[in-house]
Parts: sequence; C-alpha cells; structure tokens
Amino acid sequence: MSSVPQKELVTGVERYPLDAEVPNVVEKLFSLRNQCTECNVCEVACSLVHSPDGTVNPQYARLKINHAPAKPSKVSPGGLGFVADICHHCGNPPPCAEVCPTDAFYYDPKTKAAVIEQDNCIQCMECVPGCPFDTVFVAPSGELLKCDLCGGDPVCVKACAARPEMLNEGKQYVRLPVLFYAEQADFNKEHKQVPEMGDEVGMMQAMLEAGKISSPA
Amino acid sequence: MESRLLRVDLTTGKMRSEVIPHSVFERWIGGSGINNWIMWEHFLTHDINCDPRGPDNIFVFGVGPLAGTGAGSGIKGRITFKSPCYNMFGDSAGGGKFPYMLRFTAFEYIAITGKSPKPVYLHICNDEVSLVDASHLWGRDTLETHTMLREELGTYPSHAHTLSISQAGENQVGIASVVSDALRIHARCGGGAVMGSKNLKAIAVQGNGGLKIQMPEEMLAWSDDFRQKIDENEAVYGFKRRGTLGAVEMYQHIGSHFWRNNQGNMFRGGEITSDNWVKKYHKYSEVCSSDCFIACDAKYKIDGTESEAAKKYIGETFRRPEYLTTGSAAGALDVRDWSEVAHWGKITNDYGIDNQDLSCAISFLMELKQRDLISDSDVAELFDREQSLRWGNMDDIEFCVESIVFQKNLFGKIFGDGPYLGAIRYSELKGQNFMKYATYGKGGASFTEEMRPFPTWMNNMAVASRGADHLKGIGLIEKFQRKDLSKIYFDGRTEAADLSVPTLKGASTALIENQVALLNSYGVCLFHWMLDPAGYTPQDYYGKAYAAATGIDRTPDELMLDGARICNLEKAFNSRIGMRREHDTVCERWMWEPTDEGMYPGSVAAEMFNPVLDEYYEWRGWDKDSGLQTRKSLEDVGLGDVADVLENEGSLA
Repeated sequence: MSSVPQKELVTGVERYPLDAEVPNVVEKLFSLRNQCTECNVCEVACSLVHSPDGTVNPQYARLKINHAPAKPSKVSPGGLGFVADICHHCGNPPPCAEVCPTDAFYYDPKTKAAVIEQDNCIQCMECVPGCPFDTVFVAPSGELLKCDLCGGDPVCVKACAARPEMLNEGKQYVRLPVLFYAEQADFNKEHKQVPEMGDEVGMMQAMLEAGKISSPA
Repeated sequence: MESRLLRVDLTTGKMRSEVIPHSVFERWIGGSGINNWIMWEHFLTHDINCDPRGPDNIFVFGVGPLAGTGAGSGIKGRITFKSPCYNMFGDSAGGGKFPYMLRFTAFEYIAITGKSPKPVYLHICNDEVSLVDASHLWGRDTLETHTMLREELGTYPSHAHTLSISQAGENQVGIASVVSDALRIHARCGGGAVMGSKNLKAIAVQGNGGLKIQMPEEMLAWSDDFRQKIDENEAVYGFKRRGTLGAVEMYQHIGSHFWRNNQGNMFRGGEITSDNWVKKYHKYSEVCSSDCFIACDAKYKIDGTESEAAKKYIGETFRRPEYLTTGSAAGALDVRDWSEVAHWGKITNDYGIDNQDLSCAISFLMELKQRDLISDSDVAELFDREQSLRWGNMDDIEFCVESIVFQKNLFGKIFGDGPYLGAIRYSELKGQNFMKYATYGKGGASFTEEMRPFPTWMNNMAVASRGADHLKGIGLIEKFQRKDLSKIYFDGRTEAADLSVPTLKGASTALIENQVALLNSYGVCLFHWMLDPAGYTPQDYYGKAYAAATGIDRTPDELMLDGARICNLEKAFNSRIGMRREHDTVCERWMWEPTDEGMYPGSVAAEMFNPVLDEYYEWRGWDKDSGLQTRKSLEDVGLGDVADVLENEGSLA
C-alpha cells in the first residue's frame, strides 16, 4: 500500500476566511437510483486518477456502489438494483468541513467543491459521521476520501456516460447516464418532466418510482 | 511486470507463494497463456496420462493483466486442468466478481494439486491464505454455498467473492462446472469434477490491496478512446439490450439452431422463435461483469402471468437466459415455453453443470426413444422408474438433470461424462451402435448450434484444443459472411466469407484462434472484440492497453506470434496424450446427414471437411498426415523446448 498521500484533483487552492460567504457548488454529481449495473468502472477509474502512483484500488474510490435503498416494489422487493453513493456537495461550508477540528478543508476555485487537504488531516474521522449522506469514506490506510469533482471534469461521469444507450442522441435510446454532472436546476428540470413529453429520463424515473420497472432496459 | 502465484498442495496442506517473473509475461502474455504454461510445467514432472480425477491433476485459476484496470473490456477469469470428461486439455472462462476481487489480493494465479483428506475451502484474504473445513458446505448447491460463505466471512476487508462447485462436482460428474459468485459459470470441460476430486468445495477471496498500472496516463487515455468507440458502435445497441439472446431471431432466419438433437435447425412453437419474451414480460434489472462498458446481462423475474408453465416458477429470479441456454433448452430439448427455458438456465447453474453437454446427452436419449430404438423397459432400466422422455417435457428433463447431478441411477453413471462417452457406453451396454445419433466433435459435446453449412465452424469443432468448441476459433467472418473482414485479414481476398468454397476456411480458424488466445490471455471478454473485429484488434488495439497495463510494448506481429505460441502449447499438450489427426473429427450426423431446412438445405460437413482441415494444418505448419507439430513449426513460435519434450515421447512429426 502506498505511503504517498492521495492525490486531489483540483484547479487551485482557495481558502476563505472564517466569516466569508462561500459560494455553493453549482454543478453537482447526480446518481439515478436502481439503474446502476455494478460494473465498478467508476470506482476503478476514480481510484486510478486519484492514485499518486497509478494504483487501482476500489477501496480508495470516492464513491461506492451500494445495493439500492430497499424501497420495496413489486419487482424489486429486496433492492435488486444498485446505486452509486456519491457526495451531494451540500451548501458551503458543508457539514463535513464544519466538524473538522483542524480545518483541513479548502475549496476548489473553479467548482467550489470542498476538498480535504491530506497533509492537514489528522484522520480523526469526525467528518465521517458528520456527513449526512455517508459519502465520506475511509481508505484502508486511514485517509479520508471525499469527492473533489476532479476539478470540474469528473472521471466517474466519463466512465459511466460511456454506456452507449445513454449518449447517442437521436438514436434508439436517449437518456442520462446513471452518474452525471449537471446544475441542480437542470437536473430538476429533466427529473420532473412528465412521460408525455417524450423524455425518457422522466419516464424511467416515474416508472421506477411507481415500481413498474426495476430498471429501464 | 510481476505477479504472484499461489501453489497449494492439498494432500499435505502446504502453501507457497511464488513470483511469476517478467520473462514469463513476455513469453506467455498472462491469463490463459500463463495458466497453460503452469499446467505444462506441472506435467513435465507428473504423468500426463494420469487419472484426471486423481491427485496428480492440477487445477489452475488465473486472471489476465487487463482485468480490473479500468480498460472496460470486461473481466474473464480462466480455469485450466486436464479435462475429466474429454480426457484432454481442458479450460474454461468465466466472468463475475471473483476474478475482479482476486486482482486486489496478493495473488493473480492459483495452482492446486493433490487431494485433501476432508472437504475444505481455500480462503484468500489479501496475502493471508488458509484452508478451512468445509463440511458444513458439502452437499449444498452453488447458490447456498456462495450465500453461506459470504455471511461467514463478513465484509472486512471486502465482501467475499467465491468460486464453488455443487453436488455435481462433489460427485465428480465429468461435466460438472465451477461457478463464480453463484451467477457466472466456468462450464466447459468439467472443472467441477477436478475440484470435487480434490475435496475442494470452494475458493473465497477478499482483498483491499492495490493493483499497479505501469503507465496510468496511457491506460486512462486508452479506456477513454475505447469508451468513445463503443459509444459510436451501432452493434452495441442490440447487444446491450438483449445480449446473445438477440441471436434467436437471426438464427431462426438463417436456420442455425440445433433442434431436437440437430434433427432440424429451426425452433418450433410460435413465441420461442423470437426474443420478444424479454421485452414483453420481463421487467429485469441489468447486471454486469466488472469493468465492462457494455453490460449485456440482465435479470429476469417470473411472476406467473407469462404462461401456464410459468405458474410453477413464481418468484424465480436469475440471469436472463443467453443464447446457449436457449439453444440447449428450446433447441436440443425442444422446450417451447420461455419460463421453462429460463428455469433450465437456473437449475443448470445452481447445480453447476454444463448445459451443452447435458442437453446433448438428454436429447440423444430422447431421440433414441423417438425412433423406438429403445423401449419403455430400457428407459426404466436407466432411470429406475418410468420416464416418458417426450421432447420438451420439463419434468422429465429435470429428473434427467438430477439423475446426473446426484448420480442417482444408471443414466447418471453412463452419461455423466457427456454425450460422446455416454453414447459409446450405452452402445456397448445394449450391443447396438447408437453413435449415429450422438452429436460431438473431437470427443467434446456439440455446442447447440447448426454447423453443417459452415465449414469454418465445423473445422473449429474438429480442431479446438478442448474438444468441440466454438470459442477458440470463432467463425465470425464466415457465419455473417463478412467479406470486409476477409479482405482485411487475407490481403484483399474474400473467400473466407464465401460458404461455397473450402479456401481460406482453415486459415481463418488458425488466425482467429491466435487472436482469441491473445484476448483470453489479456483476461478480457470476447464480446467487445466480436462487436467490431476489425476495430478492436487484439494484436493492435488491445496491444496498446496491454502495454499500458504491463509495460510490455510489443508490435502487432510479435503479439500474433505470442497468440500462436499459446495455441501451439495447447496442441502439444494433446499430442502428448496421444491425439492425432484421426481425433480431429466430428460426429457422423454432421459428417454425412444433410440438413433439410433453413437457408442452406442439403449441407453436410463431409463436402469440405478434409480440404479445410488440410489447410488448417498447412497454415499452422503441422504435419498433414499425422496432425502432429513439426520441429520447425514449434521453433518458429519460440517453442524449441516443447519440441524437445515431444520428440522424446515420439509425439513430434
């Protein structure tokens, strides 16, 4: 196991004074429930780009594939599908950063995502229960791992977005990937579209909610 | 590039970790190449004619260097051993999470010899290895074994992933398989019987170690490019949605099914002839092998409304049937209900048994019954009870499966090694020659597709190192009549895609065998390559990813030579066992009995069989009369040491 600290992918180091108004993250990562296939590509890619020496290890990924929340439905009584647990990038300063005793968090100037400064982190793990969504992870070496949005070009999105039916506009299937990087308003807009509008994302999500399908295939 | 091999001697319980040096990777690429080499070295010091079910046989598991690197081309682990059912070289690939997880432990290759005095399972947790008592798992099927092991081993350092056998393996049934994570099956050649004969119930792995990529930047760039290529590939759409099941409709059109023990080549019964089933009834979730950009797999769940027969299986959920599950049930056995086909897939998986061998054995017997060659009392003698042996009768079929898995009766004992040995034994027992009705090639069970009109496929069946096999030298160019591919591979010539002439058929088997050997050695899935054989060439395109992962940079020509070396070693193994040209043959039905339906009626294999076989040997540089390798052909691929061994034993031409 590497003794070199994990590599954060940021566009610069930005520190705000304690009383400053920190702008919120505008473009966030979203994950659609139950449509993940547990192919692990996002975990593998995430761990590889953040590795200081080119090591793949899903335990070092800043997102984890989990069994879908057990919301019993006709076809998915025990949570047949999977979901990627990823950082929600709460309003700044985020709860994980607020509980940090050493102020080890700083902000990416471009994305405004809170990032852990591995050199300042004392690995007290306060941020793990501090996160309301359980998306701060502990690496086998004890390091704390939080999504840094890869400086604005998340590799997990690229990996997941590769699924062909998701990107080929105008072809048979047009839909968002399981993981995607968008503004909250855009997400909400697409998310709320009614099926009649012909948007497959809205339709799929509506059918998923209604328990009519466990996956849109 | 280095890797670690775990050697386990079950007789003494001793375990040893060995380093696989860079030089071995340079010679054997990885994955199945290194597996073959480990087995070859083992049989230099052990009797190669040993009983495959004895302690001298070796069981190797290996995973290639591209697996789990984010390359996105799927992951296939590979088991290699001397086959107990065909008594020759045996290997089998399988996906799932087991090989993925093995990459994050200290080991990538496992070689198991000897025989444990009591049932055990092998537990690998990072670099700690132990043999654990498995008496509580003995007698359980693969799903129960997997579930119990997962519960037992907990979630630290990771969830456990398993490779296990069922009761069939424990009873050393020749066609028993090894199942990864209770979901993905290493079916061919009877690896389950080898594990069972060693009293090894399962292998469980847990790991949280890292996997070093030699050139991470190049690897990421390659996988980015690969994603885009997959994304632009139209063929991926249908494949993604239906997997290999999409072939059902197309094969019905060509007449390429294997109906009733290949008496016909089209499915009968309305609904079964298309893949509408998956669209119409089945709300399923997608599942996927690790590290794959395609995700062709899915799950079904039967809710009882599909058909009358489905009422028996309410609540059953498993992987959606893929083509060969359908081909063996709806084809070989003429089952006409989709939920029964799905159920067949589930029981053969849970019992860990190869559905190709199994369906050929059962349909052989059903055909004898159909032709009144055996009477009701003969059937009662085989099964110790009355059996109708009607085509498509699922109750009968399930009883046949259980007879073999639990070795319940004479049928189980005779047909436990598949249709070829089963037909020989049954013919001897009855004093009649029934071989005309058995479907096999080179001693291995047929895979359930019509092949008579396709000379390259027939050649595959006859020469594949592990018996009748379509995955060693896939006849892609010919079946889909891809003249474009033929032009690329053979300097502008198109004959390889022309069904009416024997030219370039043997050549395309040899060429594709080399390419497939490379892919198997990288540890990736074949489907990505099959969706665009010219775009994702194993020697060129994948070669770049191999270089990024291992730091071994080779030219496409060198890699093709590596592929040929791997194929030649498999051939040499079989030559040492005593296999010659006369073994490279197929069954009488394919040879002489013409097809009477489909797109190519009146086809028989005999028309082109020998010229194609000659061309194959010629292309490989082997001796045409004996079918043996020559010293020159071996030295050309850098196997002088192998030639020496063969010469000492008189197996060199």
